[in-house]
Amino acid sequence: MTVQADILTENAPDMRRIERRRALFWLLPPILWFVGFMLVPYAITLFYSFGRMDYVQFVAGFSLDNYVKVLTVQPYAGLILRSAKIGLLTAFWSTLLAYPVAIAMAFYLSSECAKHILYILVILPWWASYLVKAYAWKTILGTHGLLNEGLIWLGVIDEPLTVFLYNDFSIILTLTYIFTPFAVLSIYAQLERLPLSLIEAARDLGATGWETFIKVIWPISIPGVLAGGVITFSLGFGDFIAPALLGGADSIMISSVVISLLGVANDRPLAAAIGVAIILMAMALLTVSQYLEKRTQVRL
Amino acid sequence: MGNVKIQGLAAGAVLTLGVLAASQHAAAEGSLALLTWEGYSDDLVVAPFTEKTGCVVEPTYVSSNDEIIAKTLASGSATIDLVSPSNDATMTLIDAGAVEPIDKSKLPHLADYFPVFQSPSWLVKDNDLYGVPYGYGFLRLVLDSNVIPDAPASVSVLWDERLKGKLAMWDNLETLYVAARYIGVKDVYNMTDEELQKTRDALIALKPNIRKFWTSDAEFQQLYMQKEVVGGNTTELAVSGLWAQSADSLKEVLPQEGSGGWSDSWMIVKGASENPCVYAWLDWISSPESQALASKLTGYAFANAKSFDMLEPEALALLTKLGTGDPEVQKSISWWQPVPRRGAYLEIWNQVKAETAQ
Repeated sequence: MTVQADILTENAPDMRRIERRRALFWLLPPILWFVGFMLVPYAITLFYSFGRMDYVQFVAGFSLDNYVKVLTVQPYAGLILRSAKIGLLTAFWSTLLAYPVAIAMAFYLSSECAKHILYILVILPWWASYLVKAYAWKTILGTHGLLNEGLIWLGVIDEPLTVFLYNDFSIILTLTYIFTPFAVLSIYAQLERLPLSLIEAARDLGATGWETFIKVIWPISIPGVLAGGVITFSLGFGDFIAPALLGGADSIMISSVVISLLGVANDRPLAAAIGVAIILMAMALLTVSQYLEKRTQVRL
Repeated sequence: MGNVKIQGLAAGAVLTLGVLAASQHAAAEGSLALLTWEGYSDDLVVAPFTEKTGCVVEPTYVSSNDEIIAKTLASGSATIDLVSPSNDATMTLIDAGAVEPIDKSKLPHLADYFPVFQSPSWLVKDNDLYGVPYGYGFLRLVLDSNVIPDAPASVSVLWDERLKGKLAMWDNLETLYVAARYIGVKDVYNMTDEELQKTRDALIALKPNIRKFWTSDAEFQQLYMQKEVVGGNTTELAVSGLWAQSADSLKEVLPQEGSGGWSDSWMIVKGASENPCVYAWLDWISSPESQALASKLTGYAFANAKSFDMLEPEALALLTKLGTGDPEVQKSISWWQPVPRRGAYLEIWNQVKAETAQ
């Protein structure tokens, strides 16, 4: 007995050391990643945002001028709001389209095979590049595109309409089309965890289909809706390709301004200040959504 | 022993081959690092040069003048020998002391250059020439003559109500210059705040006519061919491309207010002239032979007037139709200049784009 106890006490610190080493082994890559690709670039951006340009050279400093400019001089603050509006609309329409698909995948497709096929159909568009998909919409929505030709063929209109392409409608449509799979997957991931017994119990206790949805399914799905909403909002908010390809004369977004500040004016400090402002907004948004997710998360 | 002999023989053979290879080339053997646009170091132009001089060309492609400026200032002649920026960026490099003056005596072909490219203001400082002009072109104003049969020779036609929602304008400060010329600004590259505000108002008044801001020649051509627009401001390549696609009703408007002009120049990064390949390259690319090849490749016009004589008849006819090689037209062009207040210009430009069209 005493011998065994000795072995245990002698070995215990070793075990702990091994545990610690093992933890370090798993933690090191994400920590390095986080520091190398997040903290350091963010710190550099922050550093630039307080400086200014003297002709073509950057001058370090500590001035809030760039932030004042972002908030008070047009078009910066206005375009951040405009991009947020596009992001919100993208998130709204994506969620609206994704929800029924996720419901069908989670509850209405009993055969695994059908579920797999739908799943593949949802993510299949990801195999094509973003640009190809955006261009495809151009050929559909154009003055002599499929949509106009189809409507003329059906006799709905006589002259092709120009309202489908080169405006905010075509941007939001394209962004919604491209980002909806993200919403489907996050809502489905949440609904999948819902035990069918809960729904059966609700029905057994006399709830109608609508009541079951409102009182059981919807509350449980909220965290998935929030997660999908945050993803689609962020992707829509930061996009600059869809506005460039499918936007009209006033379809400029904040990311395009950052690009032009770097590419045309070589004004890195102002571009950095806009970047920091957007990072802060994103952090606020994530904090709020995380709080809401926690409040709405149901233990299943 | 036998082995050593064979090795010795092999080494001797390699050496002989090496010497033979070297003797085929002129004195300037070495390598040459270019920071340039993709079309400017194509094999068609580079291969005869390497053949003649033995200099191996190592190009790095850039997509903007800012990239040229940033990379030249950051790394200098350690990694770059020559750069080919446009006329709105050249003076920035000269002022920053990042490039060397050109020794004209080493470049006899410069004598054959068009007068505007002999000592252009965007390359001259303290009587020194800092670059060898190369490709150039003018910005064009084009409209479908079926829509506007009576187009006046003025940019004011863009504001015509018949063009509502039918124009594609370049997403570039050049479009800001167009509006500035329209309201009569004298020096569009050095506008005062008041002039900038007036330009902004003129552009906002133009917005209802603009359907799309284009970003590439191909995009402009597509917009026109697919009947999304009936014209706008564009490049020579886009116009010639459209004419080649039999867009016959597309006519050029020659505005009395003038048009913008771009001109690329090869510049020597400070310290790089020690590399014998540098002047060998400048001599080659300033020759009419090489510029005719480059013109064939890119469709642009080049600064050596004699290069026009070596063009194929079709290419020459096109450039003549466009007036690109006409010294009188060249003189009337508002050649791009560096804009000291580029930040302010861009801000106005972005404000215009953010404004909702009425």
